[in-house]
Amino acid sequence: MSTRISKMMSVRRPTLVSRKVLIDSLVRLNPLRLVANPVMLLVEITFFIVVAMAIYPEGFPRLANVSLQFFYVEVALILLITVWFSTLSDALAESQAKNTANSLRRLEMEVSSKKILIEAGSRRIVPTPSRELRKGDLILLEKNDTIPIDAQVLEGIAMVDESLLTGESTAVRKAPGDDVIGGSQVLSDTLTAKVTVNPDETFINQMIRMVESSKRPKTPNEQAVTIVLIGLTAIFTILIGALLGMSLVLSLAADLSVLIALYVCLLPTTIGALLPSIGLSGISRLYKEKIVAKSGRAVETAGDTDVILLDKTGTITVGNRQAVEFLPFPGFTEKDVGEAAFLSSWHDDTPEGRSMIRLAYENGFVPKEMNSLDASEVYEFSASTRTSGVKLAGGTGFMLPKSGGTGRERGRLRRKFEPHVEGGVPIGSDETEIIKGAPDAIKRIVKSVPANYDTIVQKISAAGDTAMALSRNREAIGIVRLRDVLKPDIKEKIMAVKVMGIRPVMITGDQPLTAKSIAAEVGIDEFQPEAKPEDKYDIVKREQAETRIVAMIGDGTNDAPALAMADVGLAMNSGTQAAKEAANMVDLESNPAKIIEVVMLGKQLLMTRGAVTTFSIANDVAKYFAIMPVLFASTVPELKALNVLGLGLNTAVLSALIFNAIIIPLLIPLAMRGVTFKPSGTMTLFLKNTMIYGIGGVIIPFVGIKLIDVAISLL
Amino acid sequence: MGWKEYFLTALIVNIFQMAIAFVIFSFQGVLPLNPQGFPGLSWDLAFMQAISFGTNTNLQHYNGEGICKQLPNCTSLTPGFPGLSYLSQMMAVQFLQFTSATTGICVAVAMIRGFITHSKDLGNFYVDFTRSLTRILLPLCFLASMVFVGLGVPQTLTGYQSITHTVEGATQTILVGPVASLVGIMQLGTNGGGYFGANSAYPFQNPSPASDIFQIFLMLLIPTSLCFVFGQLIGKKRETRPILWSAYALFALDLLIAFTPNFPVVGPGIEVRFGGFFSVFWTVVTTAVTTGSLNASLSGLNPLVILTAFNGMLIQATPGGKGVGVMYMVMFIVLTVFIVGLMSGRTPEYLGLKITVRDVKLVMIAFLVHPVIVLIPTVLAYSTGAASAIGVGTNSVGFTKIFYEFTSAAANNGSDFLGATANTPFFNISTAIVMFLGRFTPIGLLLALGGSMINRKRLTTEAGVRTDSPLFALILVGSILVLVLLTFFPFLALGPILGFFQGRVNGF
Amino acid sequence: MLNIKGELRQNYGPAIRLAVISLVLCGLVFPLVITGFAQLIFPSQANGSLVQFHGKTVGSSLIAQNFSLPIFFHPRNDSASGVDPDITVQDAYSQIPRIASAAGISADRLQQIVIQNEEGAFWIFGTPYANVLRLNLALIDQTGNAAYKDFQ
Repeated sequence: MSTRISKMMSVRRPTLVSRKVLIDSLVRLNPLRLVANPVMLLVEITFFIVVAMAIYPEGFPRLANVSLQFFYVEVALILLITVWFSTLSDALAESQAKNTANSLRRLEMEVSSKKILIEAGSRRIVPTPSRELRKGDLILLEKNDTIPIDAQVLEGIAMVDESLLTGESTAVRKAPGDDVIGGSQVLSDTLTAKVTVNPDETFINQMIRMVESSKRPKTPNEQAVTIVLIGLTAIFTILIGALLGMSLVLSLAADLSVLIALYVCLLPTTIGALLPSIGLSGISRLYKEKIVAKSGRAVETAGDTDVILLDKTGTITVGNRQAVEFLPFPGFTEKDVGEAAFLSSWHDDTPEGRSMIRLAYENGFVPKEMNSLDASEVYEFSASTRTSGVKLAGGTGFMLPKSGGTGRERGRLRRKFEPHVEGGVPIGSDETEIIKGAPDAIKRIVKSVPANYDTIVQKISAAGDTAMALSRNREAIGIVRLRDVLKPDIKEKIMAVKVMGIRPVMITGDQPLTAKSIAAEVGIDEFQPEAKPEDKYDIVKREQAETRIVAMIGDGTNDAPALAMADVGLAMNSGTQAAKEAANMVDLESNPAKIIEVVMLGKQLLMTRGAVTTFSIANDVAKYFAIMPVLFASTVPELKALNVLGLGLNTAVLSALIFNAIIIPLLIPLAMRGVTFKPSGTMTLFLKNTMIYGIGGVIIPFVGIKLIDVAISLL
Repeated sequence: MGWKEYFLTALIVNIFQMAIAFVIFSFQGVLPLNPQGFPGLSWDLAFMQAISFGTNTNLQHYNGEGICKQLPNCTSLTPGFPGLSYLSQMMAVQFLQFTSATTGICVAVAMIRGFITHSKDLGNFYVDFTRSLTRILLPLCFLASMVFVGLGVPQTLTGYQSITHTVEGATQTILVGPVASLVGIMQLGTNGGGYFGANSAYPFQNPSPASDIFQIFLMLLIPTSLCFVFGQLIGKKRETRPILWSAYALFALDLLIAFTPNFPVVGPGIEVRFGGFFSVFWTVVTTAVTTGSLNASLSGLNPLVILTAFNGMLIQATPGGKGVGVMYMVMFIVLTVFIVGLMSGRTPEYLGLKITVRDVKLVMIAFLVHPVIVLIPTVLAYSTGAASAIGVGTNSVGFTKIFYEFTSAAANNGSDFLGATANTPFFNISTAIVMFLGRFTPIGLLLALGGSMINRKRLTTEAGVRTDSPLFALILVGSILVLVLLTFFPFLALGPILGFFQGRVNGF
Repeated sequence: MLNIKGELRQNYGPAIRLAVISLVLCGLVFPLVITGFAQLIFPSQANGSLVQFHGKTVGSSLIAQNFSLPIFFHPRNDSASGVDPDITVQDAYSQIPRIASAAGISADRLQQIVIQNEEGAFWIFGTPYANVLRLNLALIDQTGNAAYKDFQ
């Protein structure tokens, strides 16, 4: 599913640097716009000083030299390019984020809607632009209509195509109580729905606003990094000021442009330039996963997750069980069980039901009562009896089942199976009643329970499977073994989560034995069987009491309290409005397994920020060794001993400055896509990244500056 | 007490104590116990010395024994080189050495209390002060002082001894006084202010190799113990490791640099009984714990030894002065956990406490104080002509002396090149301000840090970066070196590093 | 926190009391107690390790005194304290030829005296040294030469 999404998104990916981005980056050079980025503002100020030195060196007695005018021009140019690299990175990140957001906004184009006005008891349809709809309005949705806005179905059942939004290709059936999303399309039938949001409150709009607002609130970690940057900037400003003073009072004859070069090289320009784009591209990456976060903070918190609550169905298993075996009771054959399963499932359109027909068909257990199915009486599934079934009239014949399960909605007598008629309902001599259901439910309606009934059921549960019992004319004939199908990659994902020190907890309605077996199969140690919705809330509360950060997913109204309480709550878009409002993120694709990706993304965001900061600070060591020998070269020649790199005295300053500038665009890809990492423990990640960005950050500039120096001296 | 109340109480008590010392210094000429008849100190020197001892710095712009033309009775004093009466040595110097050391222990413990789970406040300064003084410092100093007397350190109030007939028939004045009672607290309290101008190079303050080793032991005792106190108090003994290991790794690195040039031999400025080894070792130790006592003349040491002395004073946590050393190390840990720890993919946490924006702010300001109060006065000393007025040149030697003066003042260390020659209004007032800010600003900020940890949610998950691992200690050492070097490298380059490249062996 | 000024005013009393009590305890009681014990237990050290020679106080073993006559071992004058009482053994040996010729004592004899007074061979860390006053007093005592009687 997600591969298709990424393909969909990649079509609209912009060329790396479009003309628009280029122009935007130049406009951002305006000093007034740089106020938000003090490090870069300072670099620009030094640019103006060096320009002044180049134009009128006589204005800087003891600090500038007329013979160095050309050098000043070179330094000024590199300083300007440094600032431009920074604005370019900003412009790129913002354009990328906007493009992603716009691709979603396309779905929310202005459409005409059919507003229902109820006047004097009669309905009137008024064509209204979607912009003018308000929360609470009633709208009519007919076949082929584009749904104008998020709404809740009040009347009617219809198939709706949400593929543009969620990437889910199969049409979704919408019945009263379900939510429909603006931008999706009605494929069949007619619905009446109530608008649930005002036009600018839709998720997509919330999302777009987060990208566009230039005053996007900084996350706590982002604020703290900014403080470190300001602190370092203050330290280096004092240091260079003192050095300038020392040079004057001790007559050390340092050139102001070299001092400025040292200053700019020391300033944390790399992280200063890239910090805004790191946060913004994090949100972009989230959009690409089709997840709407209500704040950047929630994404960062996801990185801190200690416990992750995983709903078994949909996250760990594909969401439906498949029949894998027919087990007859004494006196019956496998064929009896298969045929009964076939018949009882004919009108059952659930994946389980279909899988039973498929298994029976594959084994050749096609019942002769096929023909009478159309004239049968159907017991629909009822939650109270947990059974469903069919009552067939007499008659024989043979007919191959039609493929698939649709189109069986004919005018047939449908009623719920009433348990109070058990045993007492006369079954006509030519009638056959087949009922399937939970083993304990069937146990209650059959005339006699086979001796090995419980043993078989228990054995199946112990293996992690689900048993479904079958009765024919109130006689227990056998059990169908239904097996959960694991999602592809789920074992690897669970392993990754565990390696990162996060505890997965599986939540399932299954009974303990089944739950245990599935948990064991995917490598989960903790699970909550026979879970009621409020159990999630209790688990969140319990884990938080032990100071753990809890991430969870949810879709139903029952999940809302837990979602609101959890540190990271990811709601499914297919879920209820209440759930979506309580969560701090919504997955438009309604894929619960994505909670794992969100956690990884949060970690990646923090890591990237730390990596660029550490790298930026570590870089300064080499720059000292490049510039210090030159700074007082005329008066304190002994300091040339610090020139460990053997740089040319005329080129060392330019080399260091060029390295300082060029590292910014070189790291833009890292800032945009984030630090890549293999799932591993906190300490391992910490050490590995410290090696790469800390120690690497010390060494790389030594190599880089030397290479640039060699290149310049060849020119 | 909350952090504000604790801090202000400590500040007020300290100011009162310094005020008492100021009065005694100023009026020692008319006060009793002044057999030498030393006159009172000038107001600026008295002001500077009161702050110097009150802030645990012990920078001395005087010679305790005086430089007198006629001894034993100092009727004619060499101008500009005042001495201290017995009363001043006892009731100003030793008094403040006790109280400033006690204050150091108190504020460190108060900050640590903030990190303890379920602690409600930072404690009570009065209680902490009384207990630290009467249960730790006074008993230990009693023992130490008695050992020193046994080893030959004088302790008498009878005035200088006059020898009327030496072997060659001349006269000699033996400068005795209440020395032993001072040596104990000056080393144990990492104060460093000696009884004599030559500090622990003077035989009466440090008579033998045995007393030398004992003094080194005393200097290291409390700062090292406080590393353990940290782990003990917060109930996680393992958390002593990053503090202790990093402190001693940096200490070992300094030793390595100090002994790199050559194995030091007895030369000018070095006392024979200590030899080169113990002179260099002492210098590294005394700056590593910001004591600032000396057993050799700094001018007699290799520039690389001076470089390591700078290192100790600029880091202040190797293991640093008693109390404040632990505080500075916690500051460095918080900074490292934040910057480097982000790379673990979790919001950085230390001891289960998430590092907040405010923490980073406090720590950054505390870190920023040092360059401001060291670099600005260094430039001012030259630009106002104050340096040349006392004959300090503009070459690497002269620059090292001035830079060292303010680094030592800011770090509350107290060793210096200038000594009594710096007894001028500029140096007295500027170093007094630097010492005061260098002491109380970081203490206030780090108490605020501790205070803000109270009632903060403590994660028991231990899923963050393990600060008790050896690799973390290594990373901490690296980050401390990078941060401190980045801030001061150009100045070290113009001073001791340049001196080294100029081939000076002991040319200061 | 709001009432911080009020709290401070309440604090002045205890703060002054603590300052005065600590002054008396640390600045007066403590050094006096030490002085008392020192004079009782180690009276010689406590008063400056003065050296008696034939009934006269000739100096302190810890403080260098001036020796300028060629017949004596001379102290250093470039040390940190200015009163370094010791010289290295090497230094002492280098002075032997001068003393031997001035005082007419054999170099072997002088070397013997230096060896007898050698101190401080601290594994590899120390430099062996000798106390100048003790060397010279030993010189006077052991040689018994009439040339020294002026100094007795």
